[in-house]
Amino acid sequence: MDGVRNVDELLAAVDRDDAVAEARAQAETTSRQGLLGLTLAGAGAFVLTRVGGAAAAGVSATDVNILNYALTLEYLQASFYTEAERSGALAGKTAQAARVVGATERAHVAAFLKLLGSKAVKRPTFDFQGTTEQQRAFLKTAVALEDLAVAAYKGQAPKLQSNAVLVAAVGIHSVEARHAAWMRALFGVTPAVNAFDQPASRASVGRIVASTQFIVDKPRMRARNKPKFTG
Amino acid sequence: MKRTTRLTAALAAVTLAGLLSAGLGAGNREPDASDFRALPPAPASALQISRSQRLSSGRYLSRWTVVRAATAAHARPSASSRVVAELAASAPEGTPNLLTFLQARGGADGAVWVEVRLPVLPNGSVGWVQRRSLGPYSTVDTHLVVDRAQLRATLYRAGQGVFSAPVGIGTAAWPTPAGEFAVRSELSRYASPFYGPISFGTTARSAVLTDWPDGGFVGIHGTDEPWLLPGRVSHGCIRLRNRDILRLEALLPIGTPLTIR
Amino acid sequence: MRPTIPAIEECEGSIHGPFSRRALLGTGAVAAAAGVPLVGRLFRLGDALGAPSKAQDAKILQLVLQLEYTQVAFYQEALKHAGLEGELRDFARATLAHERQHLAAVKSALGANAGAKPTFNFGQRTKSARAFTRSAIELEDIAVAGYNGQAANLTKATLASAAEIVSVEARHAAWVRAIAGQVAAPDPVDKPLTAKQVSAGLQAFGVST
Repeated sequence: MDGVRNVDELLAAVDRDDAVAEARAQAETTSRQGLLGLTLAGAGAFVLTRVGGAAAAGVSATDVNILNYALTLEYLQASFYTEAERSGALAGKTAQAARVVGATERAHVAAFLKLLGSKAVKRPTFDFQGTTEQQRAFLKTAVALEDLAVAAYKGQAPKLQSNAVLVAAVGIHSVEARHAAWMRALFGVTPAVNAFDQPASRASVGRIVASTQFIVDKPRMRARNKPKFTG
Repeated sequence: MKRTTRLTAALAAVTLAGLLSAGLGAGNREPDASDFRALPPAPASALQISRSQRLSSGRYLSRWTVVRAATAAHARPSASSRVVAELAASAPEGTPNLLTFLQARGGADGAVWVEVRLPVLPNGSVGWVQRRSLGPYSTVDTHLVVDRAQLRATLYRAGQGVFSAPVGIGTAAWPTPAGEFAVRSELSRYASPFYGPISFGTTARSAVLTDWPDGGFVGIHGTDEPWLLPGRVSHGCIRLRNRDILRLEALLPIGTPLTIR
Repeated sequence: MRPTIPAIEECEGSIHGPFSRRALLGTGAVAAAAGVPLVGRLFRLGDALGAPSKAQDAKILQLVLQLEYTQVAFYQEALKHAGLEGELRDFARATLAHERQHLAAVKSALGANAGAKPTFNFGQRTKSARAFTRSAIELEDIAVAGYNGQAANLTKATLASAAEIVSVEARHAAWVRAIAGQVAAPDPVDKPLTAKQVSAGLQAFGVST
């Protein structure tokens, strides 16, 4: 049985859940709400997540909180790959990888949204600062993001209360590891450095994500001033 | 209390027996195939992950960004090329200075440069800005077209018309300029019936009212004289009946490209 | 009392791995599954065989042991007989080093009760680069699915340890696919296999216990 070489075999439905459709829903996204549940000093500080009300579909509040943390990372990855694919800056095998991995991350986002329903955090606003617009910067960033996702899922898996959520988490965790290896191979570094991959705590993941400054406030394009047009 | 103690002891016995039968502390033992049968299968996943989703075609997409820090727009993607315009972080309305993205390229310095439409005269000006001076990218699939001959505004979403209304535009003396622009802000809750309930700022500028305070930008707004519409009645602004602009507001994302023909 | 997981030593050939032997063997006292009250466990005595426990961890690790024995033997043999060159050889060498560390960690966790090394008949799988590639993908995928299939059956401490390994197996799988010019991560989620399926898969691969 030959492995998959043709990307088109893999990619089916056209994405209807991407950021354009979400923007259309006119949800007010703020970058300060519910992201990673952390408090950090300085500009771009996040506030502690408040998990209130009944859990989605019988999932405990603790697990909802962890799922939203995972969703934030999936938003980050999906938006990153989507922007990179649309930028046209990628070529060859890297472009192909961005298409496939992006499609997977978008599918992850869709699945999380379906499970969490109204409990899902909104997609943050991302400023990738050119890392989606140059191939080398893209690969370097992709490696970092995928390695981070692996470590993040690994850190949370033992904390999950529901086995059904745990099964979902480990099934995604290993896929992110495949992504990490793939991007590393494309970037030209070894796909698997050590025999044992380390987990990362939520606090350290939050610090790393904050240090990228990828998550920013949504520009406020609405105001209450009187118009100053020509009339 | 006594009952709990007995249960606890019974449980302890079960656990120890389990450990012993698993061979721990009892010397070498071959793994038994029956052990593997006894292990339950994984429960169903809480997440239903569908087949991977490829992106829709970018045909109707337009991208916009904002000025993050005041910067210069150059004629070419190089800091040493001629400065076309200085860009402030804010538009006169007080909202972030919105720029329509045209293309990105690696510049002479190795960093990313972005070609954008500039909200400066002459209308239609473009220039190159350093990526780091810009904020996050946003994407819309809408397009607002104002037809000056038909005196009509039509909003398209993914190529489909979703809104249409009659408009008032500039008089012959103060014409509404033609060209490619963008809707860059939304103003509301101001106390001025002249502009109606909602106004949208655009990047279009009057080519004749060049001394107008705050740049002479063309806006899209409501009116307290709806009977003038459709018509050539304004100083360049695009006026809609109040009920039409309220309808438009629900459909028009900021950053939507605006074509005035 | 929740067992602690010792720090990982990074040098190759270390006998200390992520698994804590104490976590498995306990001290003979009642081993409370984390967070589950005793009364709750009592009511589930009927399906107590499925509930996580140190004894069950040990059973699972016996299967994992077979997996790791197989991987070590497979890569060892392939490096001798498959005529591997370039990227493929680099991959096999690096992976063998990792699998040896995995094997050592699992063996150490099971201690004296570690099952015996199986016998192997890999046939053509280790005789050519092409067959090796296909087989490496198959074996690494079995490992990933096998680990994932046991996630809910493990105690949290052992799950954390197993998680440190499964992602590395997944990296191996993507690595060799990429070398072979295949899409390195074709599926959006990795589906689990049952212990029985893993066992059967290993048998079909040429493993006899």
